Amino acid sequence: MKKIYKVLLVFGLSASIFSCSDEFDTRTGQLNTGDLDYTDPSEMSGALVGAYNAFSTRGWEEPLLLAVRGDDVNAGGLGDQQPFADTDNFIYNNGYWMYNSLWNLHYSDIIDLNTAIVQLERYREFMEGEDDLRAQQYIAEVRVLRAWLHLNVARTWEDVFIYRTNNPFEEIEANGVSSKEEVMQFIIDEMDEAIPNLPNVRPNERTDFPGGVTAYTAYALKAMANLELENYQGVADAAGEIINSGRFSLYPDFYQLFKIPGELSNESLLEMQFDELGSDVGGTFYHNFAPFGPQGWTPARENASSGWGFFEPSMKYIKFMLDRNETVRLETSVLFTDRGINELNEDGYTDLPAFVSNTTPSGDVINDYERAYFASGKHYLPSDQLPEEQNNYGSAKNFIVTRYAEVLLMYAEAVTRGATPTAGSAAEAVNQVRNRAGLADLPSVTSEDVMDEKFAELAMEWGIRYYDMIRLNNYSELSYDGRSFSESSEYLPYPQEQVDALPLTN
Amino acid sequence: MKSLFRLLVVFLLSAQVAMAQKAVTGVVSDNDGIPLPGATIIVQGTTTGVTTDFDGNFSINVSEGQSLEFSFVGYDTAVVTVGAGNVINISLSLGTQLEEVIVTSLGITRERRALGYAVSEVDESQISQRASGDVARVLSGKASGVQVTNQGGISGSGTSIMIRGMSTFSSSNQPLFVVDGVPFQSDTNAMGGFTSGNNGSSRFLDLDPNNIESINVLKDASSAAIYGVRAANGVVIIETKKGTRNKKPVIEYDTYTGFQVAQNVLKMANAEQFATMAYESGSEADAQFILNAMQRYGRSELNPNVPDVNTDWYNEILREGIITSHGISVTGGGENSTYSVGANYFDQEGILDMKNEYERLNLRSKLDINVTDRIKVGSSFIFSNATQYSPEGSAWFRAYHAVPIMPVIDPQNTDAFPTRYSNAQLLGYRGTQNPFPDMRYNKNQLKVRKILANTYLETEIIEDKLTFRTSYSHDYSTIEGHYVNLPYTLGNNVEGFSSIRREQNNYSNQYWDNTLTYEDSYGKHNLTLMAGHSYRDEAANTFSATGRDIRGIRLETSQFLNFADPSSFSGNVNENGARIYGLSFFGRAAYNYDSKYLLYGTLRYDGSSKFTQDPWGLFPSVGTGWVLSKEDFLKDSSALNFLKLRASWGQLGNDNVGASSGSNTVNNVYAIFGGQPYTGYTSSSVFTDNEWELVEEFNFGLDAETLNNRLSLNADYFIRDTENAILPITIPVINQVLNQNAGTIRNQGIELSATWSDNINEDFSYSIGGNFTSIKNEVTAIQNEQGYINSGSAEFRQRTVVGEPLQSFYGLEVVGVFQNDTQVSNSPFLDNNPEAQLQPGDLIFRDQNGDGVINDEDRVFLGNFLPTYTYGGNISLNYKNWDFALSIYGQGGNKILNRKRGEIIFTNDTNMDADLAINRWHGEGTSNSYPSSAGLRKAWNQQLSDFWIEDGDFFRIQNLQVGYTIRNEKLPEIRLNFTAERPLTFFKYNGFTPEITNGVDRQTYPIPAVYTVGLNVKI
Repeated sequence: MKKIYKVLLVFGLSASIFSCSDEFDTRTGQLNTGDLDYTDPSEMSGALVGAYNAFSTRGWEEPLLLAVRGDDVNAGGLGDQQPFADTDNFIYNNGYWMYNSLWNLHYSDIIDLNTAIVQLERYREFMEGEDDLRAQQYIAEVRVLRAWLHLNVARTWEDVFIYRTNNPFEEIEANGVSSKEEVMQFIIDEMDEAIPNLPNVRPNERTDFPGGVTAYTAYALKAMANLELENYQGVADAAGEIINSGRFSLYPDFYQLFKIPGELSNESLLEMQFDELGSDVGGTFYHNFAPFGPQGWTPARENASSGWGFFEPSMKYIKFMLDRNETVRLETSVLFTDRGINELNEDGYTDLPAFVSNTTPSGDVINDYERAYFASGKHYLPSDQLPEEQNNYGSAKNFIVTRYAEVLLMYAEAVTRGATPTAGSAAEAVNQVRNRAGLADLPSVTSEDVMDEKFAELAMEWGIRYYDMIRLNNYSELSYDGRSFSESSEYLPYPQEQVDALPLTN
Repeated sequence: MKSLFRLLVVFLLSAQVAMAQKAVTGVVSDNDGIPLPGATIIVQGTTTGVTTDFDGNFSINVSEGQSLEFSFVGYDTAVVTVGAGNVINISLSLGTQLEEVIVTSLGITRERRALGYAVSEVDESQISQRASGDVARVLSGKASGVQVTNQGGISGSGTSIMIRGMSTFSSSNQPLFVVDGVPFQSDTNAMGGFTSGNNGSSRFLDLDPNNIESINVLKDASSAAIYGVRAANGVVIIETKKGTRNKKPVIEYDTYTGFQVAQNVLKMANAEQFATMAYESGSEADAQFILNAMQRYGRSELNPNVPDVNTDWYNEILREGIITSHGISVTGGGENSTYSVGANYFDQEGILDMKNEYERLNLRSKLDINVTDRIKVGSSFIFSNATQYSPEGSAWFRAYHAVPIMPVIDPQNTDAFPTRYSNAQLLGYRGTQNPFPDMRYNKNQLKVRKILANTYLETEIIEDKLTFRTSYSHDYSTIEGHYVNLPYTLGNNVEGFSSIRREQNNYSNQYWDNTLTYEDSYGKHNLTLMAGHSYRDEAANTFSATGRDIRGIRLETSQFLNFADPSSFSGNVNENGARIYGLSFFGRAAYNYDSKYLLYGTLRYDGSSKFTQDPWGLFPSVGTGWVLSKEDFLKDSSALNFLKLRASWGQLGNDNVGASSGSNTVNNVYAIFGGQPYTGYTSSSVFTDNEWELVEEFNFGLDAETLNNRLSLNADYFIRDTENAILPITIPVINQVLNQNAGTIRNQGIELSATWSDNINEDFSYSIGGNFTSIKNEVTAIQNEQGYINSGSAEFRQRTVVGEPLQSFYGLEVVGVFQNDTQVSNSPFLDNNPEAQLQPGDLIFRDQNGDGVINDEDRVFLGNFLPTYTYGGNISLNYKNWDFALSIYGQGGNKILNRKRGEIIFTNDTNMDADLAINRWHGEGTSNSYPSSAGLRKAWNQQLSDFWIEDGDFFRIQNLQVGYTIRNEKLPEIRLNFTAERPLTFFKYNGFTPEITNGVDRQTYPIPAVYTVGLNVKI
C-alpha cells in the first residue's frame, strides 16, 4: 500500500511542476501591433483609414466652440450651458468642460495621427516601387490632417504645442510651447513636404479613397496658414495653385451644397464623410449635428428628430444679408421661426422677401422655441434626405471643412492687400462667388468688399469669420449686440486641467 | 412521517416555482444602472471622446473589454470603479466553554485559540436570522474591520466588501471568498473583470445564506497568506452545513415571507418650489417653460403662478416588493459517511414598478466518505438557477430629474403611442424626462446558472502524521441576457425603435490544489509543516447579438432574433474572450509549545499571467502569539480566563487588478469614402505593463476572556501598506487613463470588539456586543513626476497626494454667501474675477493665498470619501421561549460629493431636491451657505467647493428580530420569527443613502427596508 502512495505523490508533484507556466505569455482577447503583418502592402491602407476615422470623429461641442465667438453666430440654447453663452460674450471660464474637451480631442487625435504615421513608416520599410510611393502618399495625407488640427488649436489658444511624434513628452521637454507663428510656419513647411507626394486631383476624383486629401487640400491649408501670418503673397501663391489647376468649380446649387446632393462636389477640398456603414458592415458613422438643430419642428418626414437649439445665426448677420438683398445664401444659411421674423419686423425689417418664412424649401416647418430665434441652415439636413429609419438630426450628413469658395475669397483678399495676382484679378475671384449666389458682378473690389463677401459666403463655417476678425484686429465688428471685445479676448485661456498637467500658464 | 411529507409537499407546491416568461428590455448603463447625459466620455485605450446629450445618448466606438472614462464616470462596459469601504463590526458571539474550531485555508482545522492571526467569526445563528438573499449582506455589521456596502436595494444588485480599508485602487477591493474550499471571486462575473479588474454585480446572491454553517474572516496578511495572491484584500471562508457521523437525519424546513419598501426616499422639489426656482433663475427660457406648463395644464388654484400639476415622481415609480423563501435540508451521517442535502427557493420583487424581480432555485449536496480509515473522499455541489429581471436604471435617474410640473400621462399628447405619456420637450425642455417609457417599453431579463463543484481526496500516508490532500474545483456560470426594447413614440418626433439584444456570457474557472501536511508532537512541542501547489485557470467568453425591426415585437412569444430584420445584424454581433492563469507553490510551518507559545511562517511563490513585466513574485509572512493565560503567573487567575497576545507580519501580492495589455493594442475602426465604408485600425501609443502590487502588513493583537468567559475582548492594531499600487494615471495629451504601478497606499487602524454574555437564570440569558474600527488611509508615495494624481472629472476634481487619503476632493473652501450689493462691491473678487459677474447670492470662497483672486491656487483638500471610523453592535435576549436580537451599524468621517446636484452644470432645466429649493439664498439673510437659484447656473458657483460636498455620517438599525420557539415533546422544534432589516437609517446627507462606494453620489434609487415573518421547523 505504501508504494502506491509514493507513486501517487510523485505523480502529483511532477504534474504540478509541469503545469503551464508558459501560458503566462498569452494575452487572450486583444490584438497587438506586433501581430500585424508589415510586409503585406494590402494592409497598409488600414492605418490610413484609421487616421481618417480619428480626423472625422469630432465631439459635438468642437465645431460649436470653434465658431461661436464670431459676429455671425450666437450661442443659442438660452438658459442652457451658461458658460457657453458667456464664451459668446467674451467672458471666459477656463474650468469649462468644452474648452478642455476641444483641447483633449484635438491633441489626442494628433497623437493618433502620429501613431498612424509610425505604423506607415513600419510598412514602408518593407515596401518597394509602387507600394513605397503609396506609403509615402499615405504619410503625406496624414500630415495634412494633422496640420489642420494644429491650425485649430493655434487659432484658438495662440501658443500651443506642436507634436511630430507619438511621444509628446520628449517633445515638450525639448521644445516647450510654440508660438502661433511657429505653428503656422510648421504647417507651411509640412505642406511643402507633403505636396510632392500627394495626387494632383480633386478629392472627389480619387478612386482609391474618394474624398480623401489631395495636393490641393494641402495648398488650401498652406494658404490658410499664410493668411494667419498675414503673408499675403504666400496666400495668393498657394490659392493661385488651386485656381490655376482648373479642376475646381463652385457647385451651382448653393442650397444643396450643404446637403446630400452636394456631397463630395467639385467644390470640396476637405470634407468629413459620414454615412450608414451599409448592410454588410452594419451600424452608422455619423457626426452629431443635433446641437445645431432647432428645438422644435414639424418635419416633412415623420418622426425626424429635432435638435437642441444651440448655434443661432446672429441678427447682425441676417440684417447684413437683407441689406445686401441676398437670396439663396440667406435662405440656405438661416432657418427662420415666426418669433424670429417678428423680431426682424420690430427692428424695422418689414418688407421681407418671400423666402423668409419658417418653412424651409424642403418642407420642414420650424416651430417657435424658447432657446433661440434662428437656426443654422448650413448644418441642417432636410428630413426628406435622412436615411430610412434614421431619425437623429443631420444623420449621414457630411461636414465640409474647406471649399473652393473660401480659396477664391482668400486669394481675392490677398490680392487686395498687395499680393501679386497669379491667377486672375481679385474681382474675377469674387465675382465667381457672387454669381453662384445670384448676385451681380462687381467691377472692382476693395478688401472691405472681399471681407463682406466672406461674411456672406462663409458665415457659421468653422469660425472662419472670427479668426479673420481677430487677424485684422477688427474689434468693432465683434463688439455687436451689447458685447465688448478687446485684445485680451482674442484667445481662450488654457483649460484648467491642461494647466495642471502640462507646462502651461494662463 | 407520512403526513409530514404531505405537508411538506403542499408547502413546496405552494411556492411559485414556475417562472413567467416576460421579456424585459433595457439599455446598458453604468454600474449603478445610470446613463450619463451631458457627460464627456473618453474611451480608455483609444482617442475617442464624445459628450452625451440630455437623454444620455451618445455615439461612441468602443471595443469589448475597454473602459469608459467619464468626466463625470461609469460602465457600459466597464468603468473604473473604486471599492469603498464600510466597516462592519461583528460582535463575536462566544459559545461558553466550547473551543471554537476555525476552518482555515485549505481545510486545515485549528483551534482558534492557537492561532496567531486575526480572525473574525460569524456563526450560524447570526447568519440564519437574516432575511436576505445575499450572503455578503449577512456580514454587514458582524465583524470588526469588515465593511459591506450595499450597491443597491434593487433585487439582484450586488454588494462590495472591504476588509481593513481601501488598500488597492483600480480593482474592487473585494476579498477572496472561499465556499467549501472553492475560491469564489465575485468579480469574475463581469467581462471587465479580466481586463480591468472591476467588479460587476455580485453573484453572491446565488448562494443561499441558510445553507451556511460558518463564516470566518481572515483579516491580516499573514493569515490570508496561505491563499496567496487573491487574498491580499483578506479572505472570507464560508462553510456550508455538513452532516455529522452516526447521527440520525435531521430535516429542517425554513420559510419566510414579507415585503420590502423604500426607505429614506429623498424629497424632491414640488411644483411650487420648482416654479419658484425657475422664476428666480434669471433664465427667461426656464420661466417660459413654466408658462408653457400653465397654458397646457392650467393654473393651480392655490397659487396662480404655478401649474396645476404636481407630480411626485418617486411616489409614482415606487412600489412594495414581496419576498418569499422556502428551504428544506436533510443532514445526517452513518458510520463511514456524512451527508447534507438541501434545496431552496427564493423570490424577491424589486421596488421599481416594472417587471423587476429576482427568483432563484438552489440545490446543494455535500458528501464526505471515509473509504478506509486512512482515505477520505468527498464532493460538494451547489447548483443555482436564477432568473433576474433587472430594473431600468435610467428610470431612477429620470425620476430624480423630471420636472414636477408634468403629469405621468398627458391626454393632449396624441402623438404618443401606445400610451400617451407626457413629454417634457413639449414644454420646451431639452429632454423628454418622463421615466415611464423606459420602464414600460424595456425588459431586461437575465438567466444566471451557476455550478460550484468540488471533489477531493485525502489520504493519511503516515497515520495521524502525514496527510496528502488533493482537491479539484470548478466554478462554472452562464449568464444569459435578453433585453427587449419595444417601439414607441412620445410626441415631438421622439421615436423608439424595436430591438432585441441577446447576450451570452460564460465563465469557467478551474482550480486544482494539492497539499502535503506533516503534523507531529514531541512532548509539549507541536509542529505542523505544509507544502502545497495550486493551479488556476479562469476563462470567460462573451457573445452578444442585437437585431432590430422585430416583427411582432409586442408578442412575447415572438421576442426572438429570428424575427428581426436580417440586415440589422451587421455590425451588431460581438464576441470576445479572456483567460487568466495562475500557478503557485507555497509552504508553511506552524509551531506551538503547549499551546502557549505560537510561531508560524509562510512562504509563497506566485505566478500570474496578468503581470507582463514579471509574472512571478515571492511572498513571505511570519507571526507569533503568546497565550499569557496559560503562564503560571496567570493560570489560576479567576478574573482572567484567557489572554493572548499576537503579532504578525506578512507580504502578499495582489493580482485582483486588471490584466496588463503588455504591448500596444489595435482597434478596428471604419471611415467613409464616397458613401462606402472602409475598414481600418487605430493603435494605442501607450500600454500598461504592470508588476505585482504588494501588500505588506503588521498586525498586533490581543484576545482576552474574563469573568468566567462571559466577557470577551479583542483588540488589533494594524498597519497595511500597498506598494506599487496600481493607480489610474491620466496621461496628458494622449488623454488615456492607464492603470500603472504608481504609488504606495497606507491603511492603519485599530479594531476593538467586546462581547458580554450571561445567563441570569435558567429562563433568561442575554448578550451584548460591540465593535469599533478606526482606519486612517494615507498615500505615502507617488511615482509621478508631478507629485499628484488627478482623478474624478475635471469639474469635480479629486486628487491623490502624499500625506492625504486616496482621491480626496480638491476644491475651494466656502466661507459664506454675498448677502447684498455692498458686500459684493467691497470684495476684491469683483474686480479681480470679472468673469464671475458677482452678485448677491453667490458663494464667497476663501482666498487661501491672499492674493485677492480666486483661482486654482486657492484649492484645498475638502475631505475624503473613506470613513475614518465605523462601529457596530448587537444585543440579543432570550427569555424562556422568546428571543430578541438587534444589531446596529454606523460609520463616520466620510464625505460625499452630491454629484446629482452637480448635474446642473451640464443640464440646468431639471428638477432638484427639496432641500436645495427651500434653502437657496433668496434675499438678504436667507442663507449663508447655499447660493441663489440664478447663482447655481453660474460657473463661479459651479466650481467644486464645500457646497457640493456633504458629510456622510450615518447610524442604522441593521436588523431586528423577535422569535418564539414552540417546544413540545410531541411536536418537532418550531420557531416563529418576525424580522425587520434596515428599518431605520439616520443621516443628514441629501441623498438616498450615505453608502456610496466611491464617494461620488449619482445614486438616484432608495435602499429598501425589509420586513418578514418566518417559520423554521426542525425534525
